Amino acid sequence: VSTRRSFLRGAVVGAGLAATAGTVAASAAEDDSVPFHGTHQSGITRVPPAQSIVASFDIIADNKTELTDLMKAITDRARFLTAGGAPAPLGITAPPADSGVLGPVVPNGDLSVVVGLGASLFDDRYGLAKQKPAKLKPMTMFPNDALDPAQCHGDLSLTLAAKDTDTVLHGLRDIARATRGGMQLRWKLNGFASQPRPEGTPRNLMGFKDGISNPAGPEIDRLVWTPDGGSYQVIRLIRMLVEFWDRVSLAEQENMFGRRRDSGAPLDGVNETDVPRFAEDPIGTAIPLTSHIRRANPRTPDTDSSRILRRAVNYDRGVDVNGNLDMGLIFICYQQDLERQFETVQQRLADEPLADYISPFGGGYFFALPGITGPEDHYGRALLA
Amino acid sequence: VSRSSCGTGWTDPNPGPQTFRLRNDGSVTAEVDLIDPATGVIYGEVEGLGVGTTRPLQVTLGNGEYAFRCLPEDTGAIVGPKSTVTGGAERSPGVAPVTRNDLLGPLKTYQQHVTEGLVDLVTNTAKLKDTVRSGNRQTSQTAWLTAHLSYERLGAAYDAFGDLDGSINGTTDGLPGGTADEGFTGFHRLEYGLWHNEDMSALGAVADQLDANAHQLQQSFGDSQVDGNDLGLRSHEIMENTLQFELTARTDFGSGTNLATARANIDGTRAVLEVLRPLLQPRYPALSTVDKWLDRTQADLDGTHKPDGTWTPVAQLDAKQRQKINGDVSELTEQLAPIAAIAEPRRVS
Repeated sequence: VSTRRSFLRGAVVGAGLAATAGTVAASAAEDDSVPFHGTHQSGITRVPPAQSIVASFDIIADNKTELTDLMKAITDRARFLTAGGAPAPLGITAPPADSGVLGPVVPNGDLSVVVGLGASLFDDRYGLAKQKPAKLKPMTMFPNDALDPAQCHGDLSLTLAAKDTDTVLHGLRDIARATRGGMQLRWKLNGFASQPRPEGTPRNLMGFKDGISNPAGPEIDRLVWTPDGGSYQVIRLIRMLVEFWDRVSLAEQENMFGRRRDSGAPLDGVNETDVPRFAEDPIGTAIPLTSHIRRANPRTPDTDSSRILRRAVNYDRGVDVNGNLDMGLIFICYQQDLERQFETVQQRLADEPLADYISPFGGGYFFALPGITGPEDHYGRALLA
Repeated sequence: VSRSSCGTGWTDPNPGPQTFRLRNDGSVTAEVDLIDPATGVIYGEVEGLGVGTTRPLQVTLGNGEYAFRCLPEDTGAIVGPKSTVTGGAERSPGVAPVTRNDLLGPLKTYQQHVTEGLVDLVTNTAKLKDTVRSGNRQTSQTAWLTAHLSYERLGAAYDAFGDLDGSINGTTDGLPGGTADEGFTGFHRLEYGLWHNEDMSALGAVADQLDANAHQLQQSFGDSQVDGNDLGLRSHEIMENTLQFELTARTDFGSGTNLATARANIDGTRAVLEVLRPLLQPRYPALSTVDKWLDRTQADLDGTHKPDGTWTPVAQLDAKQRQKINGDVSELTEQLAPIAAIAEPRRVS
């Protein structure tokens, strides 16, 4: 294990990177169709398609009635955007109903939408304090975080995903246009999922396969969904110091992750889907005790309930003030309980060597609402009833 | 579409979403409307259909009678055969076109309104000139705001006042020398000097030129006529300008009065809406929503006007207040946008 930069770290530093978790490698179905109506928001379990937008809004509605109208408007637009179809012809009565970015007829079936609510919405503005989801709270600042308040938190999160960039941009423009008087954008970041290189799980911008093992099948029920069909959403905007990272030897990189860079296999395995045998390696001769995968998910009965459903994507957005590239990870995960799961994983990651190469700067905690059950349902119906 | 016939190929009228393919077989460019022949209400429109070209027209048809009306350039309207749609849904209320004739009254009233506003403007720029000449910076700053707001109240968005708008209210955009550029004149040049401790005696010439330009504007406006297209466009462009230049503080050259300007722009927008109101009332069901957002925006802007008469600079708003005002003006522009489409002057004959 490299400790050459441990002097930089002082006592304990946190990290925000993905936590590897789970014993089952298979991920949720890779079916293209994304139904809008259902018990859960279907974008949660969807494997991230090529393009995403993660946005946070502050709600400026004047009262609870306007808030309800806002949630209905978001629902209506999301229902249309996911179903597709021809926008209403408005004749001479108005500018075109649609931006036209996707052509005269909006294609169906590719866009997914996840709507979450932040703890700040449950203040005295709308009388919702008592309805606050039990585990919801503002995002914790961890020791290694360099958070920019302008890129943190928010009343409502909107996560759009689709195969193509124009689809997610079209969706964001459409929803924002229909809701300008009810909510205002606070921050947003575009993300992308890379192609498998050359196969298997896509890589992050450190060159490592990211998101190899995730809860699947029946595990989702006990790890992801709350009793009402929602899920707690963590969004962490994490800069990767890629120039620095590229100056690190391969062996040191692999020891930090605990996986081979080329294959994604755990350091004691051959294939990316191989399950690391931590129990057979108690002092970390093969997979260092400080490695990311070992800290994130020790794969013991005690730690099983802290596993999370990871839906991270990469971001790339320009140049830093010192000429370095601003790129990294939009880490997103879903869980039943923020403290039992994400925060517990974060605490285990607190002094991992990888922490020196990343810098979390934004994001928030949200409660991803239960699914829209049918044409009469709308986001937040139970809360606002 | 041809010189003698219009919409003859429509043989099987069906309700619901329909796409017509309109082909111009005539010898001149034509406009085509799908109308209710009894009321003249327009359900769909294709403008500028060129000779020999085909363009789609998408409409959703409800029960009722329809006909195509073709308006070839330089020729009278031809209304085609009637088609009756049945078995569908109730037809949504359409919009009757606004004609140039309909706009004559509103334009006259608006012209009068701006003429009166220009009297205020030149009165205030003359006072401003004298105050600057007197050398008192503080009273000059007060006089500057009064004069500037009397200009902003006129609703001079997007070249409505031509080149004189640039001389009177231009910024440093497009000027390589920035605030030191010779082409930087008018209110913002004076603002820059008054709030950056420039020598008062040097600012006298700037104030003189501003006053001269204001008088020129008054003169030229009296000799000209507001175009029929302008009323509808201005009804949303004034606030588009507010959103782009005032709420971003891009036009702040030191006074920090963007929100006062935004408030004056509300008055300018109301003036346009008042003259259009009789035409909009039967045509725009969301007019009361426009009024609601005008009132809300106005109240939120007035909330930034401090008891001592000064205005909160945009950058000093707290985040929540700023989001609220951004949201107000953004929603207002969305609600105003249909007015430009509805109030565009259209031919009917």
